[in-house]
Amino acid sequence: MKKSSWLGMVLLVLLCVIPLLQGCGGKDGTTPAAKIVFCDAGWDSLRFHNAIARFIAKYGYGLESEELKGSTPVTYTALLRGDADVYMEIWTDNLATYAKDVESGKFQVAGVNFADNRQGIYVPRYVIEGDAKRGIAPSAPELKTVADLAKYPEVFKDEENPGKGRIYGAIPGWAIDEIMYKKFKFYKLDKDFVYFRPGSDAVLNAAFTAAYDKGEPIAGYNWEPTWLSGKLDLVLLADAPYEEKAFQEGKTAAPSVPVTIGVGKKAWQSYPDFVKFLQSYHTSSALTAEGLVLLSEGKLSYDQAARKFLQKHPELLKKWLPEEKRAAVEKALREAK
Amino acid sequence: MTSTFPQVGDLGIATQIDNFVYYLNVNFSSAFGLLKTILLAYVNFLQGILSFLPWWLLLLLIIVAGKKLRKSWCQGLVLAFLVSLIGVVGYWQMMNETLAIVLAAVTISLLLGFPVGILFSIIDDKYFLPVLDAMQTMPTFVYMIPAVMLLGPGKVPAVLATVVYAVVPLIRLTSHGLRNVDAAMIEAAQAFGSSRWQVLWKVQLPQARSTIMTGVNQTLLMAVAMVVTCSMIGANGLGMEVLIAINRTESGRGLIAGLCIVIIAVLLDRLTQGLVVQGGKRT
Amino acid sequence: MKDVFFRVEGLTKLFPVGFPSCPTKEALQYLQAGMSRTELKEKHNVLAAVQDVSFELKQGECLTLIGLSGSGKSTILRCLNRLQEPTAGKIYFQGEDVTAYNKQALLNFRQKHVAMVFQNFGLMTHRSVLDNVCYGLEIQGMSLQDRYDKGRSMLELVGLTGWEKEDVNRLSGGMKQRVGLARALACDPDILLMDEAFSALDPLVRNDLQFELLCIQQKVGKSIIFITHDIDEAFKLGNRVGILKDGKLIQLATPEEMLAKPKDAYVSKFINSVDSSKVVSITNIMEKPAALVRVAEGAHLALNSMRINGVSSAYVVDDKMQLLGLVTLDGVLQVLDNKQSFANILIEEIPVTDTPDQPVRSIMNLAVHAKYPIAVTDKYNHLRGIVTKAAVLGALCGKQQDGESTS
Repeated sequence: MKKSSWLGMVLLVLLCVIPLLQGCGGKDGTTPAAKIVFCDAGWDSLRFHNAIARFIAKYGYGLESEELKGSTPVTYTALLRGDADVYMEIWTDNLATYAKDVESGKFQVAGVNFADNRQGIYVPRYVIEGDAKRGIAPSAPELKTVADLAKYPEVFKDEENPGKGRIYGAIPGWAIDEIMYKKFKFYKLDKDFVYFRPGSDAVLNAAFTAAYDKGEPIAGYNWEPTWLSGKLDLVLLADAPYEEKAFQEGKTAAPSVPVTIGVGKKAWQSYPDFVKFLQSYHTSSALTAEGLVLLSEGKLSYDQAARKFLQKHPELLKKWLPEEKRAAVEKALREAK
Repeated sequence: MTSTFPQVGDLGIATQIDNFVYYLNVNFSSAFGLLKTILLAYVNFLQGILSFLPWWLLLLLIIVAGKKLRKSWCQGLVLAFLVSLIGVVGYWQMMNETLAIVLAAVTISLLLGFPVGILFSIIDDKYFLPVLDAMQTMPTFVYMIPAVMLLGPGKVPAVLATVVYAVVPLIRLTSHGLRNVDAAMIEAAQAFGSSRWQVLWKVQLPQARSTIMTGVNQTLLMAVAMVVTCSMIGANGLGMEVLIAINRTESGRGLIAGLCIVIIAVLLDRLTQGLVVQGGKRT
Repeated sequence: MKDVFFRVEGLTKLFPVGFPSCPTKEALQYLQAGMSRTELKEKHNVLAAVQDVSFELKQGECLTLIGLSGSGKSTILRCLNRLQEPTAGKIYFQGEDVTAYNKQALLNFRQKHVAMVFQNFGLMTHRSVLDNVCYGLEIQGMSLQDRYDKGRSMLELVGLTGWEKEDVNRLSGGMKQRVGLARALACDPDILLMDEAFSALDPLVRNDLQFELLCIQQKVGKSIIFITHDIDEAFKLGNRVGILKDGKLIQLATPEEMLAKPKDAYVSKFINSVDSSKVVSITNIMEKPAALVRVAEGAHLALNSMRINGVSSAYVVDDKMQLLGLVTLDGVLQVLDNKQSFANILIEEIPVTDTPDQPVRSIMNLAVHAKYPIAVTDKYNHLRGIVTKAAVLGALCGKQQDGESTS
């Protein structure tokens, strides 16, 4: 081999070896500590709660953490198997096997994160009330309940199916999607409307945003808290009062879904102190929405939004943490980033 | 010795792009509406034909196509049998929806890709190659979400997304095939006074036919590969079925729907392979 | 000027080679100021492929241009129909300046007045033989029937009647070049440009086509510019011959004049060099012996072999194909009559050559005096083939041997 090729090979090997050498051995040569794995199924509020919990884990309990990313079913399965440790927002009605899994002890429920969320069929406020500033006349002034939609197929035109209206459904495969579809048929909306499956929440939100920016009418499933519900002025259409069986058949409004915090069996044993914190962790739909607004308006990272949020709500820290842990966390918050 | 890369941030480009999309959405909605109407009409037209054909006629057409293109009754029968399985499990209507989108995307890809491929064989294309790379590797959702905002979710952005992804092999292989025609043949054609156009039409295209047909075959398969992504933008069909199954962790249902997509891919692949082989032989 | 049929004046072609190279206009100036080709290449990365070449082609003559590879001959040819654009110089055809033609005029020139035959044939594999021949006519816009008629007559001229519908790929090299020739002639051009047209063919086929070209030339009287690196071919075909060196035309004269008065030492050396790879060697004309007997004692076998092959002698070899000798029909009959032993009738003194790669002329003397065909063996006395007297004479006279493959 030529000299230059040898030199190139040596340099390449050195480049690969040096970072490895750095990586080996911590400051005192001990093996690195185990990390807590948080599930990240992709949506903003989950990541926001993750950021808060991870901050507290680090500065309150000295625990390193990381996130496991994936789709909802994938991350949930990881929790059951023990590949992940904490799930900060389990939307219990979206996972078909949730109840069974809790009962058989496949994982532990630390508590309820928040339970005052809402979901259902939303329309922008200007559809009902108009918007003088933007020059939009109300197109469906009598619209109050889901049943009322039947009166307005021509307002919510479906361009792919001329002559019919369109109502956006939930994400296909979520348990709530089936219920929404049953609701759709129950109110006889299938006569003049098309139940349109958006495919993913990104698309659903894009559809809402696009229509809202143009001032056009749109009706479809959405839920709070999301950055969308925080940003756009949407009205939830009323429905019959909630009743368990009737709800499953699509006849009533959706209940608030208890969004719980799940902890894997292994982690439950390994981090008893941290688990105590998780058991005290309660927020609300409004608080979560606040966090989401921080994220989108301020264009902050999740970590930055978490810090800002905690700085604004010292009372939450009082509720969640014992004295000495709280002090440590507050000290970390005070230190400039 | 650890060091973090000096960060500057994205210089506000991300915000500018957001603003640009907003601007387009609000100010050009009629133009996009027109585009949407045309594409939608086309897809619906294809779907109309497919829905109009009774199932046994479609199977018969497959058998005949198998004979003509693959020179064997056996192949045609096997393909027809596999396709009939889709109907047996109850996915026939969904198959039609999926096929309409795939065929719409492929025909548009042919209309666009073929001339562009010819163009790329003539000009110095080194500046455009990165564009082709980007079209195939940029995550679909990155450009599809703005597209959904401008065109609405459903079949239209699905067809567009498929075209962006699937047209690339056709462009590359057309360009490649045309460039790699024997230089001696082209020189001979020029020496006898052929114009540029005559060289292209009488020498390059016939010689490159086999390679170009391979490009068509690849485009078709890439279009089928996009079916599930299309469902995530709101297109109905077999892809939507797979998506539901994924979200519910219903592996069995997902597998069956997925196999139906595979059968469609096999059908289209076998039939167009027949055209590749014929292209290689002298007519 | 109008009566000048075809004239080239000061043809120059420069190529940038390597990077960075100076612009060709500048390089041209250096050249005209007297810079050498080597200096231009080394200092400015510009190659002067053709330097200030001028000549005239008379109507009906065949002008051959020879030179080594790199002498610029192919480039000159391609400049004549502007497949390469000349850097400087003028080309006049019937009074018009070809270098000044616009696109349409150039296409017209190529379609009607000049045609080319290529070393690698340049045939279109997706077309039949007839469609290949008619290509030029198709470009001219002739109707299908007319051009097929013309095409067929051209195929007849080159001896390929009956091959119209064949796939071009199935033809041998010689046949392909005949198609190439037919294609060029079909356009009825004023000038035929032939770029080493026979160099890719093997020696016997080449001889054949050279002969045919001369015959065709007699019939149709085309004006030809023929490029080659084979001096024998150049002299055989050309009414006048031009020698090129490093892009310059050293001497242009009839073969006789050139042989009598070579302009300089280079020309002299060139004329006298023999291109050994193109000379016919013994292996080219060798055939496998039909009557061959492998066993040492086998009179019956020998007789049978001769009877089947209809010859009166057979070669005898051992198990390892080593040549033992020759037996004649007479001798074998004597053995069968029990009048002689096999060993006695075996003729061991037969003409043999053990250098099959030598040119044919090296066994000329042997052939003249041989009573039997000459056995060809390798260094270890393994029989490789036989060479008949007729074959030797045929090769030396440059004609194809009966029974050889058609070309």
